Amino acid sequence: MITLKINGLDVSVEKGSTLLEAARFLGFPIPTLCYMDGLSPYGACRLCVVEIGEGAKAKLVSSCTYPSEEGLKVRTASSRVLRARRMILELLLASCPQSKIIQDLAAAHGIRRQRFKQEYEDCILCGLCVRMCEEQMMGKAIGFRGRGENRSIGTPFDIKSDVCRLCGGCMYVCPACQLRCTYNEPEKAICGACANLSPPCVEKEQFNDMMCYMDPCVACEIKKDK
Amino acid sequence: MLKLSSINELKELQSVLFDASDESIPCIVIPTGTCGQASGANDLIRVAKREILAQGLTKKLRLRITGCHGFCQMEPSVLVEPRRVFYPRIGLKEMERIVEAAAKDKVLTDILFVDQETGKTIERQDDIPFFSKQVRRLLSWNEKVDPIRIYDYIKAGGYSLLSKVLAKGSAVWVVEEVRRSGLRGRGGGGFPTGLKWELLAKQTSNGGKFLVCNADEGDPGAYMDRSVLEGNPHIIIEGMIIGAFGTGATEGIVYVRNEYPIAIRHLNIAIKQARELGLLDEDILGTGFSFDVKPVKGAGAFVCGEETALIRSIEGKVGEPRQRPPFPIQKGIDGKPTAINNVETWANIPLIFRIGAEEFAKIGTENNSGTKIFSLVGKIKNTGLVEVPMGTTIKEIVYDIGGGPVGKAKIKAVQTGGPSGGCIPANMFDLPVDYESLADAGSIMGSGGMIVMDENTCMVDIARYFMNFLKDESCGKCFTCRKGTQRMYEILDDISRGEGTPGHLDLLKELAEVVKDTTMCGLGQTASNPVLSTLNYFIDEYRRHVIDKKCDAFVCKELVGAPCQAGCPLDTEVWRYVALIEKGKYEEAYKVIRDANPFPSVCARVCGRKCETRCNLGTSGGQAIAIRAMKRFITDRVDPSVYKPTRTVPRGKDVHRIAVVGAGPAGLSAAHYLSLLGYKVTLIEAADEPGGMLISCIPAYRLPQDVTRKEIKLLLDENITLRSGTALGRDITLDELFKDGFEAVFLAIGADKSWGLSLEGEDTQGVYPSMQFLKAFNLRGEELAKGRVCIVGGGNSAVDAARVAIRQKKVTSVTLLYRRTSQEMPAYAEEVEAALAEGIRLQTLVSPTSIRYIKAAEAEGVRVETFVQPVKIDARNGRVADIKCVRNKLGDVDSSGRRRPVPIPGTEFTIALDTLIVAIGERPDSDCLASMGLELDKGGRLRVDAKTLCTNRKGVFAGGDLVTGPNTVVNAIAAGRKAARVIDRYICGKELIEPPKVQLPSVFIEPAVVGDEELEDAERVEPATLDAESRKKNFAEVERQLSVEQATREARRCLRCDLEFTQRSENEDAECAGVEEKSV
Repeated sequence: MITLKINGLDVSVEKGSTLLEAARFLGFPIPTLCYMDGLSPYGACRLCVVEIGEGAKAKLVSSCTYPSEEGLKVRTASSRVLRARRMILELLLASCPQSKIIQDLAAAHGIRRQRFKQEYEDCILCGLCVRMCEEQMMGKAIGFRGRGENRSIGTPFDIKSDVCRLCGGCMYVCPACQLRCTYNEPEKAICGACANLSPPCVEKEQFNDMMCYMDPCVACEIKKDK
Repeated sequence: MLKLSSINELKELQSVLFDASDESIPCIVIPTGTCGQASGANDLIRVAKREILAQGLTKKLRLRITGCHGFCQMEPSVLVEPRRVFYPRIGLKEMERIVEAAAKDKVLTDILFVDQETGKTIERQDDIPFFSKQVRRLLSWNEKVDPIRIYDYIKAGGYSLLSKVLAKGSAVWVVEEVRRSGLRGRGGGGFPTGLKWELLAKQTSNGGKFLVCNADEGDPGAYMDRSVLEGNPHIIIEGMIIGAFGTGATEGIVYVRNEYPIAIRHLNIAIKQARELGLLDEDILGTGFSFDVKPVKGAGAFVCGEETALIRSIEGKVGEPRQRPPFPIQKGIDGKPTAINNVETWANIPLIFRIGAEEFAKIGTENNSGTKIFSLVGKIKNTGLVEVPMGTTIKEIVYDIGGGPVGKAKIKAVQTGGPSGGCIPANMFDLPVDYESLADAGSIMGSGGMIVMDENTCMVDIARYFMNFLKDESCGKCFTCRKGTQRMYEILDDISRGEGTPGHLDLLKELAEVVKDTTMCGLGQTASNPVLSTLNYFIDEYRRHVIDKKCDAFVCKELVGAPCQAGCPLDTEVWRYVALIEKGKYEEAYKVIRDANPFPSVCARVCGRKCETRCNLGTSGGQAIAIRAMKRFITDRVDPSVYKPTRTVPRGKDVHRIAVVGAGPAGLSAAHYLSLLGYKVTLIEAADEPGGMLISCIPAYRLPQDVTRKEIKLLLDENITLRSGTALGRDITLDELFKDGFEAVFLAIGADKSWGLSLEGEDTQGVYPSMQFLKAFNLRGEELAKGRVCIVGGGNSAVDAARVAIRQKKVTSVTLLYRRTSQEMPAYAEEVEAALAEGIRLQTLVSPTSIRYIKAAEAEGVRVETFVQPVKIDARNGRVADIKCVRNKLGDVDSSGRRRPVPIPGTEFTIALDTLIVAIGERPDSDCLASMGLELDKGGRLRVDAKTLCTNRKGVFAGGDLVTGPNTVVNAIAAGRKAARVIDRYICGKELIEPPKVQLPSVFIEPAVVGDEELEDAERVEPATLDAESRKKNFAEVERQLSVEQATREARRCLRCDLEFTQRSENEDAECAGVEEKSV
């Protein structure tokens, strides 16, 4: 067991557990987007940052990847943490306003506006789908490509992957509802599950008005408007 | 190569090599780093080899091909040993001569290095300031070693430290030595190397441990690691073997960028040679110790310089960082303990064992021992690699080694640490360069890039540039880093395009801080530094962009438009009238000029020409368009009556009355524009006629008085009442003006009081303030100068005084004394040149210390009396006889970015003279204003709000020299015009600050068709001048006007920067033609 201090409380947690697991076990809420039980922690969304250390050495780390250390002092909701979270949520809202999950998180944190140029992206590159495919479905059909602003998720060469079993797991975990909406172009869709699994309107050209079983999906609507 | 099987064999080899070479034979050393090869060093090698063979000098001359020596600015260069003669920037012809001369042990004095500051040639490399002020512990190796010859390295003492370490056989001692040396990671983090090794040595691993040399140097403008690796790869290998011995590492990896082909080639050769000699791989030198190094080529991502990303890249995965802990020292490559050090850190290791840890730690400061190599680039005279002790100040690096700014533009800031670093402003250049000081200043050491920026660098643009780099180079894993850099770039881009708001600045700061706080790896955590440091130190520049929509460095295109127009304080559409001249439409050209400027003919002669200094032709290395000469061409040729100013009819019946005090260019302009707006203006002038400095001080050979009078006459219309001979304070007060019913007052009384030297005896007869001297002549025709005349000062009024003096009958010689170098004289360069042509002697770096008198009785003669003001001579009974001076040298750099003149003791000398004119600057004669309740600063200038020209008294506005101190005519006109607008807003009860608007070119004028040949031959047209002999005797205007042919030719040279804004695209010709018709 490891003893550490979370928000002023002395607690003991199992060795090997992350700060996020420790805090959640004790009932301290920490919002996450790219974390999911059963998938390896990735530390990409930065929403789960907590403050560790003291004085000048205090810093923010992602709690989902940081291991519990003996004697560590952790603050899960200090003003520094909250400021960072609010800014992250504002950035998320600016990029992906149609996601229900992001909207809810932003509302919970009292975000009432975003000050950047509004974008309508359908992916926040949290990587849940990639890990879901690889770790739970043993698929490895999709992965990251490119870096910086050109980073994206997809199958190799954007053609349907042979190892994809159309399980739909990627869509299931997506917090920004990207994948459920790419069915418009089934050739390019990572799994195209909804297009292939539920065939009621296959004869319709380009599947334009097809009802997705994940309806309503805001991303689709916005895409259509453009 | 024979494999060495024991330490003794290495020693033997070394002594054999040493004996075999004869150091007394001259050696030609040709540096061929990437910089050298790019500038043609390979051709030099070819020529040198050919010449040596052709002249049969193989026995008399040695040739060594090495890596970069550091002075990249001077490449291709050659160093000749043993005298160490340095030949910079040589061509193939010179190479032949050097071979010949070197064989005879001669020096070619005509192609030696010339020190620009002193103008002297310097023979030895070590005497050149760039080299002499460095401590070249690592870089000096590059001169001694041919990187592809291991024997060179061994001969110079290489690998002997490895044998020393192996002979001693104590790993603990190795780590302890490194720890005691205080060496810290040179990659930028500054983690103590000894501590890192200690941690690695403690790690247990059954699968081996790794040492990595990080040569993934990707910062724009930084290339010191490349030079070390290219020029001396063995020192890295030796350092790594020593490190492996100390830490028990089994494998070494050099992770080098694929963009460094020469470095990779040299490294591969070095590793191969070391293996062949038995210095790598199994059983090194027969000691049973095994270690091997292999190179890994990077895949070209900036982020792979981050250690966790680098490890993943070596493993063959996507180069993405991961959260630490676990640290690489615990779990690195393939999960095995790994220590990663930078190239320079490894290069320092052999040095520690050569000179010992204590000796190593002696250089540098506490906690920051040793030397650091910086790549000094940007707007600086000497670019290249410099190696200095840690703790050297930025000032020493930039000015002493770097030689200061290239042109006249002052150095504004230094950017250290590449894209993750920050900008340090010039006023903090006393900052010592060490890890802590830089971090405190908001920057980082980084790997050692140092980019110097001057006033022509826009800090918003710099931040934008680095953010653009980072948004592409962020791996994209962390949301805050990926999206944060994108959004920061977006905001910066908006600001640079004039779409920024004050809210943007807050948002930018907030975002930058969060990105710094929340990102996982070093790239993201430091990505905000360019933004935060510029926001911190250059917030005014950001505000200028956001609030005033101005880019003072003329970089942000959407805020600048055509640089000539943006440079003009009056916003004259220069490009437009230049284009109209080309079309032969002179009257229209006149209208364009006159529309912006009520004094076109005056400005055609005495304008400070900001437009020309900003001309893109000039700033890009060519010759700027001769804009003023073309303005003169138009104003001389076109009758002013073609321009009819647009008048606003007076509002209703009540006519508002405004008082303008001072009828100089500022006052006249204000009166003119107020009159156009329908106000009744009373112009109050202390002198007998209007014109101010234009009439009283500017000499007629530059600006004929009738030109000025004619132009003033045109401005004085029925709305303007002139009350000359009335001085504020003496004849009238502000209160009286308001009582008389004036609703607003504009003060523009100028600055016509000369500063004194603050020396004893300045009130002696024969000593004149320049203003007094010039006014006496211009207004009353009095010639105050006689005999030998000295003028102290370097500004325009000093040169004016000198040139007026030499035209006066009783003057025999004129000497101008200035305390700095002629390059730093604030006077317009062409005025100084003209003055020299007229026979005026210029003594620079001289400052007067005392003025001596002789008894008046001896001097009282007829000639003296004509010069004397009777009141003073009676009182003093003395007059000036000579002036004692002391020579100066250039010292430290002061806050203005210029070197401070420092007197050299014992160099006092005396100049005999008859007249001394003091022209070291002017101040407003504003004492009376203080008593009227106005606020003045120390220099006697009136304090106003820069945006509204409001003084601290309601209804009182001020502008021109009274506010700015001595300034150009065009700035005074601009102030007057602005005052008219502000006063109009004030009377109408509107918000005083005008909303800023960017003046982009909007009228399309068909560009001239200019052939390549014409462009190539085109040279700047200079107006003809009267020759020096004939003009010395009189006050005829010196500069002549251009001919039609000259003006057209010059106008055709114009790059037409306006087209970028007016011409939408090439296939819209039809539409453009339509626009042109409308405009005409």
